[in-house]
Amino acid sequence: MDVNLDALLQGAALWRARGSQRASIAVVPSGWPRLDASLPGGGWPLGTLVELLLPAAGVGELRLLLPALRTLLEPSVTDPGRRWLAWIAPPHLPYPPAFAQSGIRCEQLLLVASERPAERLWACEQALRSGSCAAVLTWLDSVDDRWLRRLKLAAEAGATLAVLVRPLARREETSAASLRIALEPTAAGLDLWLLKSRGRGPTRIRAALTV
Amino acid sequence: MAVRAHRPAAATPAAGSTGDLFAPPAKPAAPASPPRELPRREPARRQLWLALRFPELALRALARRRSAPAPLVIVAGEGAQRRVVTGNAAAAAAGIRAGLALAAAHVLAAELEVVTYDPLAEQRELEALARWALSFTSFVSLEPPTQLLLEVQGSLALFGGAAALIARIETELSAAGQVLAFALAPTARAASWFSVAAPGTVIDSAAALAGPLGRLPLAATGWSERTLEDATRLGLSTLAELKRLPRDGLARRFEPCVLRELDEAYAARAAPRRRHVVPERFLERLELPAELSGSAELAPYCTLLLERMQGFLRARAAGVTRIAFLFRHRERKSSCVVLGRALPASGSGEWQALLRERLQSVVLPAPVLALGLRTSGAVALSGASAALPGLDRRETEAFALLDRLRARLGEAAVSGLSLVPEHRPEAAYRAVRPEPRPPTTATGEPAPLPPAPRPLWLLANPEPLGLRDGRPSYDGRLTLESGPERIESGWWNGTPVARDYYIALTRRGARLWIFRERGAGRWFVHGVFG
Repeated sequence: MDVNLDALLQGAALWRARGSQRASIAVVPSGWPRLDASLPGGGWPLGTLVELLLPAAGVGELRLLLPALRTLLEPSVTDPGRRWLAWIAPPHLPYPPAFAQSGIRCEQLLLVASERPAERLWACEQALRSGSCAAVLTWLDSVDDRWLRRLKLAAEAGATLAVLVRPLARREETSAASLRIALEPTAAGLDLWLLKSRGRGPTRIRAALTV
Repeated sequence: MAVRAHRPAAATPAAGSTGDLFAPPAKPAAPASPPRELPRREPARRQLWLALRFPELALRALARRRSAPAPLVIVAGEGAQRRVVTGNAAAAAAGIRAGLALAAAHVLAAELEVVTYDPLAEQRELEALARWALSFTSFVSLEPPTQLLLEVQGSLALFGGAAALIARIETELSAAGQVLAFALAPTARAASWFSVAAPGTVIDSAAALAGPLGRLPLAATGWSERTLEDATRLGLSTLAELKRLPRDGLARRFEPCVLRELDEAYAARAAPRRRHVVPERFLERLELPAELSGSAELAPYCTLLLERMQGFLRARAAGVTRIAFLFRHRERKSSCVVLGRALPASGSGEWQALLRERLQSVVLPAPVLALGLRTSGAVALSGASAALPGLDRRETEAFALLDRLRARLGEAAVSGLSLVPEHRPEAAYRAVRPEPRPPTTATGEPAPLPPAPRPLWLLANPEPLGLRDGRPSYDGRLTLESGPERIESGWWNGTPVARDYYIALTRRGARLWIFRERGAGRWFVHGVFG
């Protein structure tokens, strides 16, 4: 089910033209123009759940998020910026030299390790609600939908970018996340399948990620 | 305003009274008092005492928990003897006065909330005020249950005179919602009595003291009811009338404190007072009514100790970053739960939240017989808030998040990261204790960045790669995209590294950071570009 990209972008433009609720969505630009064009509000939504479904760790999920994370951590004149970029139970170590190369200071990374799923969820909720995290990235497998709704409320309370990273196998499960994207690595970069997004059906976007 | 005219010593009725009007009454049990300390000054030097009386102190001790628009009284005594000690404004409006029997109070106000008088709570409140009062003078003395006596002669110049000092004290107290009756006099005893019977009196010279003091009613003294009744029967109503009696008669007819305090008030004898000092560490134990095991059962007792600790710390305007709960078990070693915070805190609520988190993950080895709470290393807090100077709301949140995560998951589960200038990839970073305050300026030179791209994910241990046709493979064939980057280092500290790193593309499009050991020729995957 290949979709004509031009038609898609046009669709997004149309939606944006009549999208009066657009102003009410707080977003951070993803840094990927084609993705921004397809997302309601023009970027990753803040204060709600974003779910990324991966076939395996390392397919490009971090490079996809990096530009937005950089923007969120940037202190501005009026705002000193939020303190943490929280990593709840990541599959590997976020490697500080690589983050330094990408323009993210490693003092801003906060790692939370936990083997127990219940504690991961709890830690995620605490980090989201706290308001001191620019973004909270959480690695989960199976989650009760009630917990997802709880996390969504916490994200709303903290107005935080909340990213859940889950195995692609969970794509058929219902989810309270406002935005669900399946990632599929290709030789050219990364294909994004917008499985669920406010105001549109499943969509496919291609992002050329370079090292 | 309700005036309380009893003192702790008079609260216990004197035993063995004979009915003989003039027999010397049994001396009320004097509270065990450590040696008193004189203000260190020349005996001849003038003193000026400011008495601060807090008539609603017992109510204030409750106020944190309840703000009752309904009538509320605090009562003391047992059964039918229970009498009103004090009441809130609504109770006063209903006509309830101090000393009224509780039964009578119930008639005046149908919906009356009754709280039993808690001298300890009141004492804690008074000690907290004493700590505050130390900002006006170095000599503060407690006059329980509701008074503080401040020697302020030396402070007048600093604060711009007595009127300015009093105005400042009144402003601060009214901001805190504390009702105050004050008096200033050359002796502590006189100031104390004026604050009861003639609040607002200001006498700053010894010569002007005798007149106004003599006009005070005897009830101002807080002597026992028996003494006051005896005096009434002798037709005495003011201090001047009492003082006109011959001294030997006074000594014979009344309890010894009468003559002594009278002399103190008139500056006829020295009146050493105990200076309020603050101990450094909090340690309290609590025996439980039964052996308890569940955290829900223990929680109220832990809360009780935390509230006492809060009183202790608040009285010192101090906070702690670490507290320890000790749980004693039967025939088993005691267990200990240590809680830590990144920022010093005094509030019981802040610690309660952490304890709640911790008790969800800690399992006590046996039922608990008794528990204790210990703190050490109290540090001064600036102002009333539990914050460091210059800490904004968001930084406070960053601290609070760390505290919660550590309390529940343990210290080791929460970490930050720091760069290390080191060639070996696995040694180019280290886990650090997270620092909630962002570094204001870069400390020293920033670590030099590696010349070639590094993967966003690093594997904890390099994973051996299989070989296919002599080439490394991972989930199928690998295509080498760039490399080699030669990394050689570390031979001097025992873990030599000699590797050629490559970026390799998997069949599925993931990019790996792989290396070949020089010499052995084995291939490993060390990172993923994520």
